[in-house]
Amino acid sequence: MIGKLLAADLLKMRRTGIWWVVFIGPVGLAAMQALNFGLRYDYLVYDAYAGDAWGGLIESTGLFVPIAIYLAMTLLMSMIANIENRQNSWKQTLALPVRRSQVFASKFLSCLIQLLVACALLSGSTLILGLALKFDGPIPYLDLLTSGLYPMLAALPLLGVMLWLTLTVRNQAIPIALGITASLVSVFGASLPHALPLSWPGFVAHGQQTLTFVGLGIAVFIVLYLLGSLHFSRKDVA
Amino acid sequence: MTDMMIETRNLTKKYKGTPAVDALNLAIPRGEIYGFLGPNGAGKTTTIRMLLGLIKPDSGVVQIFGQDLKRERIKILRRVGSLVEYPSYYGHLNAVENLETIRRILNVPKSRIDEVLHTVGLTKDAKRSVKGYSLGMKQRLGIASALLGSPELLILDEPTNGLDPSGILEIRELIKKMPQQQGITVLVSSHLLSEVEQMASSVGIVNQGKMIFQDSIPNLQRKAGSEIHIALSEPDAAMITAREQGCFPRLDQGHLVFKGIDNGQIARLVAALVDARHSIYRVEERRKSLEDLFLTMTSGASNASSERHEASAPRAAGLRKEAAR
Repeated sequence: MIGKLLAADLLKMRRTGIWWVVFIGPVGLAAMQALNFGLRYDYLVYDAYAGDAWGGLIESTGLFVPIAIYLAMTLLMSMIANIENRQNSWKQTLALPVRRSQVFASKFLSCLIQLLVACALLSGSTLILGLALKFDGPIPYLDLLTSGLYPMLAALPLLGVMLWLTLTVRNQAIPIALGITASLVSVFGASLPHALPLSWPGFVAHGQQTLTFVGLGIAVFIVLYLLGSLHFSRKDVA
Repeated sequence: MTDMMIETRNLTKKYKGTPAVDALNLAIPRGEIYGFLGPNGAGKTTTIRMLLGLIKPDSGVVQIFGQDLKRERIKILRRVGSLVEYPSYYGHLNAVENLETIRRILNVPKSRIDEVLHTVGLTKDAKRSVKGYSLGMKQRLGIASALLGSPELLILDEPTNGLDPSGILEIRELIKKMPQQQGITVLVSSHLLSEVEQMASSVGIVNQGKMIFQDSIPNLQRKAGSEIHIALSEPDAAMITAREQGCFPRLDQGHLVFKGIDNGQIARLVAALVDARHSIYRVEERRKSLEDLFLTMTSGASNASSERHEASAPRAAGLRKEAAR
């Protein structure tokens, strides 16, 4: 059942521009670093990150990864929800023989797939940039792969909130305002207290206690997801 | 009981303490086109949403196909097609893609999409994005979506709302064909009695969340009754002549109006009036329109709650005047 729902949801996303967001985010980040390294190549490669150009590239990309992920979660979830919200198609979708919890799960999986694609694109475009800049040394494939993935997993609590808000509140201004605020606050990630989930992707991007924060992110997300799913399954559909 | 497609018992839904649907008992037999009638805000849409499990009743039971909706929701919904209020569609997709999103969930063969598009007459525009459709076409697409899973029960909420006369006619013909051709039972809600009268075989009238009439259309028409109007010269004098004949008319704009009068009486009366040198311009039978009956029934119910009464009475009177014209 969930597979059929997901297939239907992916079809609904045709021509909505959602995949452009998925594409432009990571490629834009890499383009920014291309500019950064293009303009001050000598300083960055031979001075600041001397001997570890790849690490330098990943680290300076990582500065912008948390905010990009938060923005992507906000934007993608609100676009996904908007497909149903716009013509109030919820009444049609939920009058089909489907479990509400599965509809909720399908919307989550759509977004997760898009986030994973975005992470893969980030790794790919960073790799291409590094190769184009002719960096020395071995290519750190694992670091490239996790540079987007780990912060994304640590950022999942926001997705839990977004899932719930975008799918249950008609007025998308509320979740979008919240998501953008969260993105802006996350810029100060490393100077925020550890207890604040918003700071977690920042710590992860800097390589501090990576796995702890990834685990915490996933755990908090599961709780939020279950609460959201429960509410979504029970609420009246206007 | 055995062959009831939809049955509700004491269905109740309250919003902030005021009941939108109040102890509603609905009974819809197989093969009927059931007109679900009531003024705006009577609780029709709320009831339909409860039938589809979109909202939960505060109390009461919904049985569809003899099964409890609360327990067998998914099994039941698989055999139900629905269109709730204005149509739901994905504007950025074309008609085929719209139906495909539903087909993937219902798991019916792809050929069904062409079939239902043909049924509602959208084959020609199937590849256009739905954004550019007229309201009538969107409504037809909505019906196509409802038909996609070959349902046994079709629930249509105000399917002709906002359509032009030709659109209304098209939808009406489409609905009328369903019980004969495909054995589908149809529940269609409307606030226009004339419309329901033209397609339904039985009717339920709700007002303020309560069912105030539920029967077949012929029985409703019988209840409406008829009157004989005689237009003639010097009506005041004619009143006396009529009384001498044992008939007691009322005078209405220069017409004598007789209620419950048979053919023999009319013949004798007309002869007597001619003898008394009245010029008779016309003798006609006027059926009390169902609209009138509807208005009396719905405003009668609102008499009970005094605060609504004052607001609805002048409006009903105005409508009656309009109908008279």
